[in-house]
Amino acid sequence: MAEPPDGQPCVGVFARAWAKAVAGTSYLPMTHAQLEMLLQRLTNLLAEALRAEPLDLRVGHRVANELVAAHIASAEALGRTVEVIQLRLVRDLDLVADDIEDRLARLLGAVATGYARALRDRTLDEQESIRRAAMTARAEAEQALRASEARFRHQATHDPLTDLPNRTLFAERLAAAVTGSAGSGRRVGLCFLDLDRFKRVNDSFGHQIGDRALVAAARRLRRAVEPHLVARLGGDAFVVLVERSTGTGDVVAVAEAALAALSEPVVVDGHDVTVTASVGIVERRVVGTSPDDLMRAAGSTLLWAKAAGGAGWALYDAERDSREQARQELSAAIPAGLERGEFFLDYQPLTSLHDGSVLGVEALVRWRHPRLGVLRPDSFIGLAEETGLIVQLGGWVLAEACREAVGWTSASGQPPYVSVNLAVRQVRRPGLVQEVRALLRRTGLPPNRLQLEITESTMMTTSEEPVRALRALAALGIRIAIDDFGTGYSNLAYLRDLPVTELKVAGEFVRGLRTPDALADERILASLVSLAHALDLTVTAEGVETGGQAERLRAIGCDAGQGWHFGRPAPPDHILARIR
Amino acid sequence: MSLRRPDWAPETIDVERPSVARMYDYYLGGSHNFAVDRAAARAMVAAVPQAPLMAQANRAFLRRAVQFLTDAGIRQFLDIGSGIPTVGNVHEIAQRHAPESRVVYVDIDPVAVAHSREILAGNDRTAVIQEDLRNPEQILANPDVRAMLDFSQPVAVLVVAVLHFVSDDDRPAEVLRALRSALVPGSYLVLSQASDDGRDETERAEAEEVYRRTDNPLWVRGRAELTGFFDGFELVEPGVVWVPQWRPETPESAEDAERAVFLGGVGRLGG
Repeated sequence: MAEPPDGQPCVGVFARAWAKAVAGTSYLPMTHAQLEMLLQRLTNLLAEALRAEPLDLRVGHRVANELVAAHIASAEALGRTVEVIQLRLVRDLDLVADDIEDRLARLLGAVATGYARALRDRTLDEQESIRRAAMTARAEAEQALRASEARFRHQATHDPLTDLPNRTLFAERLAAAVTGSAGSGRRVGLCFLDLDRFKRVNDSFGHQIGDRALVAAARRLRRAVEPHLVARLGGDAFVVLVERSTGTGDVVAVAEAALAALSEPVVVDGHDVTVTASVGIVERRVVGTSPDDLMRAAGSTLLWAKAAGGAGWALYDAERDSREQARQELSAAIPAGLERGEFFLDYQPLTSLHDGSVLGVEALVRWRHPRLGVLRPDSFIGLAEETGLIVQLGGWVLAEACREAVGWTSASGQPPYVSVNLAVRQVRRPGLVQEVRALLRRTGLPPNRLQLEITESTMMTTSEEPVRALRALAALGIRIAIDDFGTGYSNLAYLRDLPVTELKVAGEFVRGLRTPDALADERILASLVSLAHALDLTVTAEGVETGGQAERLRAIGCDAGQGWHFGRPAPPDHILARIR
Repeated sequence: MSLRRPDWAPETIDVERPSVARMYDYYLGGSHNFAVDRAAARAMVAAVPQAPLMAQANRAFLRRAVQFLTDAGIRQFLDIGSGIPTVGNVHEIAQRHAPESRVVYVDIDPVAVAHSREILAGNDRTAVIQEDLRNPEQILANPDVRAMLDFSQPVAVLVVAVLHFVSDDDRPAEVLRALRSALVPGSYLVLSQASDDGRDETERAEAEEVYRRTDNPLWVRGRAELTGFFDGFELVEPGVVWVPQWRPETPESAEDAERAVFLGGVGRLGG
C-alpha cells in the first residue's frame, strides 16, 4: 500500500477499513486494490477539510460525488461510509481540535447530503436512459413492423420477376378508377398487351433468357407509359391502366408508346430476343361499365389485334364484340340444342334431267332455336366447324337422315338416295367407317341409298387416313359426291385415285346460264360434264332456279339438277308426296 | 433451435414483462429497470436471498476474466448475452488496459440493445447487435460482427450468465461448437451459469418459478455439464469452479464461494 505524500500511515489504515466496509454493498467495477486507492485519496480530502479553517463543506459533497461516480452507489454503502467515518476517522488519523466533534458532524452531514443527491440524480438519469432505450426499441420495432408490412404488401401486390404491380394491385386500382367518385364525365382506358409468339423465345433460348427478356420488356413498358399503372397479369400478358382519359386518342397514344418501346432491339446474353406485341384497347366512360366488362372487352380486342397478325393495336368495337359474343353463345348452345331435339332435317330433291324423277334428296339441317326461331345451317355450321361441335352435330344429321330415309318407298320401285354432307373433321376422325357401317346395320338402309357429300378441301390433305376411309365407304356401296365442285382447287388428281361417284357443280356456274350469251360458263359446264362422264361420274348441277337453266343443262348432258326450280328444301312428308 | 419468426414479423417490445437483463441490472444496484423488473427481482430475492450477491459475484468473475484475457494478449471480445451495459462493461475493462481492444455486444433483448447503442455511441471500437445466442451462425455472419472482429486472430467469446437461459432442447453444446468452429487457436471461451450443484430443491424450484414469468426460463446445470461445454478448449486454472473461486483477488473473497450459485471457467483453444 502506497503511503500518502505526507507520510501518515494512519490514512492507509482508515482507507482499508473503509474499503472493507463498503465491499459487497453493491457491485463495484474495480479491484479491491483500486478501491483502497480511491478511498485513500478521499480520506486525505476529508482529513484536510477537517484541519482547514474555515471548514469547507463542499469537500463533503465532492467526496460523496466521487463515491457515487465510482459506482460505490447504494444505500448500504452510504450507511457503512457514515458509520466508518464517525467511528474511526478522527481516531485513525489522530485529528486534534477543540471542535473536532462538531466539525466532523457537519462534514458528515455534507457527505450524506451530497451522496443522497448524487444517488438520486444517478437513479433519475438511469431511469431516463432506460426509458429512452425502451422507447427507441419500441419505435424501432414498430418501424421494422411497418417496413415488413410494407414489404409484405409489396410482395403481395407485385410480380416477383419484373417487380411490376400484379393482378391483385391492378384489380384494386381498376376498381377504384371505375367505382371511386364516378363523376359523370370520367373516362377510363385499358391497354391489354401481349407479346407476340413469346413462347418461341422460351422454346429457343430457355426460360432463363425468356425471363430476362420479360424483365427487359417490363422495364421498357413501365418507362414508356409513365405515369400510368402497368401490371403484369402473368406470362407475357401486361395491362396498362389509363385513368382520367379524355378520349380514345389518349389510350391509343399510350399503346403506341408501349409498342414503340418494345420494338427496340433486345439482346440478352448475345441472343436477339426482340419481340413485337399486340394491344387491345378499350376506352369508355366510367359510368355504366365495370372492371370485369373492361377486362373482358380489352381481352377480346387483344385477340382481334393478334388475329390481324400482331405487332399492332386494335380498338374495341362494340358491334363486332356483340356479334362475336352472339356467335359464341350460339355455338355454346349447340350441345344442349341437340339434347333437347331442337335440330331437324329438311330435304331438297336431286332431280333427273332425263325423266324428271327424284333420284335423291339432300338432307339439310335446321335448328329450331327457342329464342331465335328456325336457323339455317349457314348461321351455325361454320361455328360448329370452328369449335369441333360439327362432329357431334354431323353425326346426328347422318343418323337422322338414314333413320328417316329407310322408310321411304317409291311408286317407281327405286326410292331416292339420301345425300348427307360430311365435314372435314368428320372424315378425318378415326372410326368413321365403323360408325357408318353400324348405322346402316341399325337402320337397315341399303348402302346404295346413302350418298356422302364431301368438299374438295377435305381431299386437300397429306394424310392417307381420309382417303382410306372414303375407299372403305365406297366399297360398302355408298355413293361419294364432291360438293361445290369447281370453286376450290379443283385438283383433278384425286378424281383418278378416289372412288367418287358424282360431282356436284357449284351453283355459280349455273347462275351464268340465265343470260343467253354466257358462253364461258356454259363451256366450262360442258367440259366438266364431259370430263365427269369420261371418268364414269354423274354430274348434278346445284342452284338451278329456272326452267331455262334446266333446259340448257339437259342439252349439255348434265345428269341431275338441284335448286328452287325442282323444289325447295322441305320436310320429309313433302318429299314423300312427290315420289309416290 | 427454437422456431424463428419470419423476418417480416419483428418481435414487439413488451415492457410489461420482466426482462432478465433489467433484473440483473437491479441485482447489481442499477436503476436501469422498470417496476415490473423490480417486482420480479424482489420475488427472486425472496426465494433466493443471495440473488444480488450471485449477480455481483458473477459480474466480478467477468471483470477478472476479461482482465486475465487482456493480460493474455486478447484484443477482441464477443460478449453474447451482454444485457444492460451498466457498470464494468467488457470494453471498459479491456480498453482501460489495451485501448485498441474491440468488443461486440450481443443481446436478444431489444431494450438492452437500444440502451447499449446509446451508451456506446461514439466508441468506434465497439458494436452492438440484437441476436439470439441460439443462432450462432447468424451472430457469426452478422456484418457488424465481421466488420469489428477479425476471426483470423484470436477472439474471446464470452457466454457469461446466459447459458442458463438456453434449454437443453436448444442444444447449448451445439451452439458452443458452432461458435468454436469460427475461432482460431489462441482464442478463448468464458462461460458461467447458474448451477444446481448442492442446491436446495425448494429454492431452485422457486427461482425457476420466478424466471418462468420472463421470456427466459431458467435451466440450471451441474459442474460436469458445464465442463462438457468446454469441449475442444483447454481449461485454464483453476478450471470450472464457483465463480468467486476463479482467480480471486484476495483469499477472503473466495470464502463461502458456493453461495454465489454460479459456476464459471475459462478455456483456451489449443493447437
